[in-house]
Parts: sequence; C-alpha cells; structure tokens
Amino acid sequence: MSEIYTEPIVGWRLWHVRRHDGEHRLESFTWHHVSWPARRRFEARCSTHGGAAPAQGHECGIYAFRTRELAEDLLRRYTGVRQHYGRPYQELPPLRQGCPIALGRVSLWGRVVARENGFRAQYAYPYELFLIGGDDTLARELRRLYAVDVSPS
Amino acid sequence: MDIGAPETEREIEIAPLEEPVPVPAPVEAPAEEPVPA
Repeated sequence: MSEIYTEPIVGWRLWHVRRHDGEHRLESFTWHHVSWPARRRFEARCSTHGGAAPAQGHECGIYAFRTRELAEDLLRRYTGVRQHYGRPYQELPPLRQGCPIALGRVSLWGRVVARENGFRAQYAYPYELFLIGGDDTLARELRRLYAVDVSPS
Repeated sequence: MDIGAPETEREIEIAPLEEPVPVPAPVEAPAEEPVPA
C-alpha cells in the first residue's frame, strides 16, 4: 500500500528548449520531440502500460532528480564537460549556440515512485526555470507561455 | 536520467487539493452601469 500526501513533490530536471509551430516549447531531455504542454499538466504515457505509468518494475514515467546538483551533473555529462584543468567543473558548461536548455524545478503528483536519487511520476508541471544558453527574449516567451518564473542564467 | 537503483523504489500517492498548474486569471465582467430612468 502506498503513502498518500496532498503536497506535490518538487524535483529537479532538464529540458531542451525547441521551436514547435512557431513557438518555443520545453521538450523532454531524453525523448526527442516530446514537448511539454503549456498551462496543463504533462501526463506520463508508456508504450507497455499506457496511462498506468509509472509502473512498478518498469522504467516509465516522468523523471526528476531530488537535487539541483544531480540535474547539473547530468548536464555536465551531456555536454561532455566534467573537468576543468584536472578539477571537477564547478560552473555550468557551455552549450552549442542556438540549443538552449532549461534547468528547473518541477512539480510531481499523482502516482509517484521514489528512488534514492529521484522520482518517476504520473503528472508534472514546471515550477521554476533557469534558462541556459538563452536570452531575455526567450525567457520572457517561456514565462508567458508556461506562466512560471524563468530566469536567464 | 539515473535516479537510482530500482530496488530502492517506494510508491507514493499525491493528491493535491489543487493541481500545481497555473491558470489564467479570471476576466472580470464589467459591472453594468445604472441606466437613468
């Protein structure tokens, strides 16, 4: 039997920021062309379990980390920049021009499966975004679209 | 995304009183002005 709470969990994750139909959208970091809808929840879908994601013993669901550090570490692995003069890279790594990424907090609710470093969730919506590799104009567009705080970094 | 080993999983049910999705502010209808008789 699962525990029941009324407060959403807030995790950390990454998104690509790409244009869809003339507007920028948040897009799944690991699944190409899966964009997050604006002003409505993003729902997990699974090719095996359908809307019953996240299923036990499977890897489906909407992913988020417990901490910002874990999300930043994924970004460093993605860009391949982990070391700087032989020391761990403390700053966020540079990105390819024109390929902005959003790092941010995300609300998770519905059925949530918690693991040691993060979560798989049924429903999610961005809570707060930090834009990496984007300018003030893009931050404003995402703020208007998703109605959440967006800070250019 | 490596969120940890599957053996560490535990399931939680979260039923928020309100979904954490921003909704547009309601548009207030303009109050009708009294029409002089």
